[in-house]
Amino acid sequence: MISAQKIGRNIIKAFGYLTGYYSLLCYFIKNISLLGRAPIRYVFYKQVYFTGIEALSKITAIGILIGIVIITQVINIAGANAVLIGKILIWTVVRELGPLLAAIIIIARSGTAISSELGSMKVNNEADSLRIMGIDPVDYLLIPRIAGITISVFILTFYFQITAVAGGLAFTSAFKGLPFLQHIKGIFSALGLFEVAVSLAKSLVFGLLISTVSCYQGFSVEASITEIPQAATRAVMQSLFLVFIFDGIITLISFA
Amino acid sequence: MIRIENITTEDFNALSFRIKGGSVYKVITNSDYENRKLLNVILGLQRPEHGRVFLFDKEMYMLSSKELNRLFSRVGTVLKDGGLISNLKVWENIVLPVWYHSGNKPEDVEEKVVQRLKEAGMDVARLEELMGELPGPLPVHEKRLLGFVRAALMEPDLMIYDSVFEGLNQEMSERFIKLTEKFHSERAGRTSVYITPDEQSVKGIKADDILRL
Repeated sequence: MISAQKIGRNIIKAFGYLTGYYSLLCYFIKNISLLGRAPIRYVFYKQVYFTGIEALSKITAIGILIGIVIITQVINIAGANAVLIGKILIWTVVRELGPLLAAIIIIARSGTAISSELGSMKVNNEADSLRIMGIDPVDYLLIPRIAGITISVFILTFYFQITAVAGGLAFTSAFKGLPFLQHIKGIFSALGLFEVAVSLAKSLVFGLLISTVSCYQGFSVEASITEIPQAATRAVMQSLFLVFIFDGIITLISFA
Repeated sequence: MIRIENITTEDFNALSFRIKGGSVYKVITNSDYENRKLLNVILGLQRPEHGRVFLFDKEMYMLSSKELNRLFSRVGTVLKDGGLISNLKVWENIVLPVWYHSGNKPEDVEEKVVQRLKEAGMDVARLEELMGELPGPLPVHEKRLLGFVRAALMEPDLMIYDSVFEGLNQEMSERFIKLTEKFHSERAGRTSVYITPDEQSVKGIKADDILRL
């Protein structure tokens, strides 16, 4: 009985969150033109800097390592077959791992930061300070953040895929004796516009999900400082959960 | 300018008062808590269960959020803690409302900011140092002063001061009072409202009327 009640409560809570995310996303889409206003655009640029540019070194390192790991495993299993290596690299990095890993890195780096930052602004009545200056805190704080994170995830995904593929190819050419040009041929034989388009569509959806969830959770903090880490945890877990769900859905629709 | 009609909340029972335009008022509350609650009602942050609140003759809680934002661009508020935004540098904080509402470039108001802070007794070296800092570690009197400069840049018709002289030493308090009085007299028809539970802290202000809750 108690567990049934608990399940019911959790379902209601989850439904409440999903409704909130949907409303915020609709508000963002409806008011995206606010980015044309200089002070809001300034917050957007800062967000792109913190989420996108500051994450570049980590994305580069992880991308190169992932490329090397995948190629090493493929060579161990199937031998030094350039066409097969190219295909597997495209299948794993471009179709799946690129968007997913870039999203996970952004959730870990920026999802927590944004929900904590917004939460502490709410606790310190800074959202009210904006309101009494005639500045809508959702317009000023959330819209540029959602736009900034989404653009950053989109670009970082593309960048991650390039570094992973290039890192893998450079490694095999340098240490496994496979000719670089043969590799490139293998890559291009497996790479189609459709793969790239699906991967970028995924990154766009993931960006919107991560930013909406993190902003919503941070902004739902009310008055207590203890709510901030709870909001950050919810932002991370729910972003991850939604990213995996939507990854599955898009993959099924596109490749099944 | 401000009209409160029979408002009832958890903290107030059928409270009514009126603040006329072009005057200086002191509103003396009974505690910090009551002060905060009254400000929340006046500033559109807490809708009363009953009663009506008028600002510039408009019923505040009947307005859409866009109309309310427009209305509040005519109101300057200096909060007890300064009300500065923690992740913006001091300079960004000061120019935010004027940049947001009027679209003026921040550099256009630089001279006015410097002039106000010099009037407050700040020397140029401190001023230059201050502009690039985040507001978190600043002493409270500087936060209030910066909050005042930020509000004053908007040239508001109504200026509300929330216990801003509390806890200041006599010299600071006198200088700040002079600054607010000078600002009030700069434009005919401007209204200044000092809300505080500490009547002693606003003793030096020449008010047209005193309201005690």
